[in-house]
Amino acid sequence: MNVESRKRSLRYFFAKVVEPLGYKFTPDAELAEYLLEQETHLEEKHGSPFCPCQGLTQNHEANMKIVCPCIPFHREHFDYMKRCWCGLFVQKDVSDPDSLPQISYEEFRKAKDASGSGEGR
Amino acid sequence: MLLEVAKAGEIAPGGMKFVKAGEREIVVCNSDGRYYAVDRRCGHMSGPLEMGALDGTIVTCPMHHVQFDVTTGEALNRPVPEYIDEPLPGRWAEYMKHFGTLMANTSVCNIKTFPVKVDGGAIQVEID
Repeated sequence: MNVESRKRSLRYFFAKVVEPLGYKFTPDAELAEYLLEQETHLEEKHGSPFCPCQGLTQNHEANMKIVCPCIPFHREHFDYMKRCWCGLFVQKDVSDPDSLPQISYEEFRKAKDASGSGEGR
Repeated sequence: MLLEVAKAGEIAPGGMKFVKAGEREIVVCNSDGRYYAVDRRCGHMSGPLEMGALDGTIVTCPMHHVQFDVTTGEALNRPVPEYIDEPLPGRWAEYMKHFGTLMANTSVCNIKTFPVKVDGGAIQVEID
């Protein structure tokens, strides 16, 4: 498999999924290329382009929730950060992705609980 | 040898048509108004590609979801393994284990592409 060709096809399909969700590829082109490359390696090894920044477990259902783009499974959390966990996607209005901190799910829950609402996972 | 395989307008955008041209089995693809022709058989386990899905210039095999770029014939991924979350009865479990071993040792090859020409109302494919 040619990694560059696969990256192009993943870009093609991912863009169709994330666009209606209000997201786009990060403007950090170097980061996007790096993350996509890691995903092609994970896909080669495991059969699906899993998020390169989240660990696989023995739980198939949980693993399926980190197949890129995993935004629909973590919508409220990622909307809160304005980016997905690894940063491959950011919300459409974001122009400076470096300004967006990676906030753990626990921190996010605490913040949501403090404000009186939260999402189940 | 240039063969007429379809009439223009016969294949809707995003659609595919299986054509038997002599000894060849080919699939003609309409990718947003541009036509491409590729070998019908998937480069993995020979699944019939016209029964899969065409999205842009990428066709996905219906058998194990291997994808190919119809402009070049290049294979874009490995097969996607099926996940079965219920235990299979004895013989089926053995069979699927055996099948899984075969799958893991089956390489994915690029597929052949054929030049396409649209002449008037006819879509023609150059078959070698």
